[in-house]
Amino acid sequence: MATKTVQFEIKRQASPDAPAVWESFELEWRPGMNVISAMMEIAANPVTADGHATTPITYDSNCLEEICGSCAMRINGKARMACSALVDNLEQPIKVEPLTKFPLVRDLQVDRHVLFDNLMAVKAWVPVDGTYDLGAGPRVFPQQQEANYPLSNCISCTCCMEVCPQFNEDTGFVGAATIAQVKLFNNHPTGQVFKEDRLRALAGDGGIQECGFAQNCVEACPKQLPLTEAISDINRDVLVQKAKDFLRG
Amino acid sequence: MATAQQPAAPVVKSGVQPLRAGQGNSFLWHKLHSLLGIIPIGAFLLEHLLSNFEALKGPAAYGAQVRFLNSLPLVRVLEWTFIFLPLLYHGLYGVWIWLRGKSNIVYYPWAGNWMYTAQRYTGIIALLYIGQHVARQRFMGVDLPEHPMAAFAKVQQELANPWMLAVYIIAMIAICWHFAYGIWLFAAKWGITPGETARKRLGYCCAAFGLLLVVMGLASIWAFVGGKYPNAPGNPAPSVSLLIAPAPVLCTAPMLSSATMLSS
Repeated sequence: MATKTVQFEIKRQASPDAPAVWESFELEWRPGMNVISAMMEIAANPVTADGHATTPITYDSNCLEEICGSCAMRINGKARMACSALVDNLEQPIKVEPLTKFPLVRDLQVDRHVLFDNLMAVKAWVPVDGTYDLGAGPRVFPQQQEANYPLSNCISCTCCMEVCPQFNEDTGFVGAATIAQVKLFNNHPTGQVFKEDRLRALAGDGGIQECGFAQNCVEACPKQLPLTEAISDINRDVLVQKAKDFLRG
Repeated sequence: MATAQQPAAPVVKSGVQPLRAGQGNSFLWHKLHSLLGIIPIGAFLLEHLLSNFEALKGPAAYGAQVRFLNSLPLVRVLEWTFIFLPLLYHGLYGVWIWLRGKSNIVYYPWAGNWMYTAQRYTGIIALLYIGQHVARQRFMGVDLPEHPMAAFAKVQQELANPWMLAVYIIAMIAICWHFAYGIWLFAAKWGITPGETARKRLGYCCAAFGLLLVVMGLASIWAFVGGKYPNAPGNPAPSVSLLIAPAPVLCTAPMLSSATMLSS
């Protein structure tokens, strides 16, 4: 009985300015295998389908359980997490490509630094540092916790930005992930101290106004964040903030 | 220049730039674009479709409607402030928005993404159509503000060309789509309908509303080409005598004569 195999086509690029080439790989099928386990196998034994030795593939991954956000890549054309992409559910040959909206480092590895710049630009944190013990924070009611929990699930994978038609070099759009984090931290009783700063930041160029409401973000999000709801809510908050700023002079 | 040649650094693409917090005015310009689409442009579209619907009553009623609109106080100021300038801004800024978006419908053929793309294509159809429509119907040919009663004939002559008729039908559907989805987008983007359910409900309402506008618009087009009022006269009734239209004269004539008899 012939062993069942799985075909992969991987887009490879040796360096940021090297030409991109496609390489085919064939692996023995195993039950429950996912794309990231296949990437590991290929990296450990870098031999193409036609038997040529090649360089080990480079990719980002860490937790292997869709919680760290590292292994986002384009699988059969769609941005998703490689760890939760089960081979049995995918059409073969499985095409694996790097994300397209971020500077390429090598092979499947991209530099997603822009998300962290954006999170910093909107102060997406709760400020608790002080020169003395600030004591316990204010109480967060269970209803508020329930509302915030889905937003706190963001794993910074950048899938929402990759699939967004407005996230590109012309607009410099901030992307859905950062807007959702603004909602999360504006809802937090201590994080609220930066509420106005965050809203004003999102009205800058590349801010929330660039959203075209194609809603791809919410479709692609592997953690099912209520991204469109966050964008709608924060759009209103930014608008109200700008109106207040205008009227207060 | 005897310095040693440095090895060329690899060209790293800079990628999408981070948020420019607190910089620029694009928020204001985007919101203005969004608002103008509803008021005054959307409001004007409604007025226009309602006025066009008068065409179903015939050339005289249509001409009367055109004359009424042209009798509004400061009508030329209203026309430029609430129609031409907002349309120009909304159209040109819309093209700018379109050019900066990178449609990816091929990879992500999802409903919202289709609507996003459709909003751009219907927008460009609307802009091109409105450009020629305003030029040919408002600024060329018979001057309708001067001769409102010739309105029906002017439109009828335009629609006599089957190509033009096709253009009007396509543009009518595209513009009504653009406006109906524009209302939905406005509510979503201004935080009026943040919830999934609210957006879905408003979606049904906008679809029904858009369909109604399309039906009304196409019915108006039918009034010109359907053959009920063939070869409408260039000036169906002198603008002064419309208040004493031919039909009422028949019934008022005996009363008038009895009144003269009484007074004599």
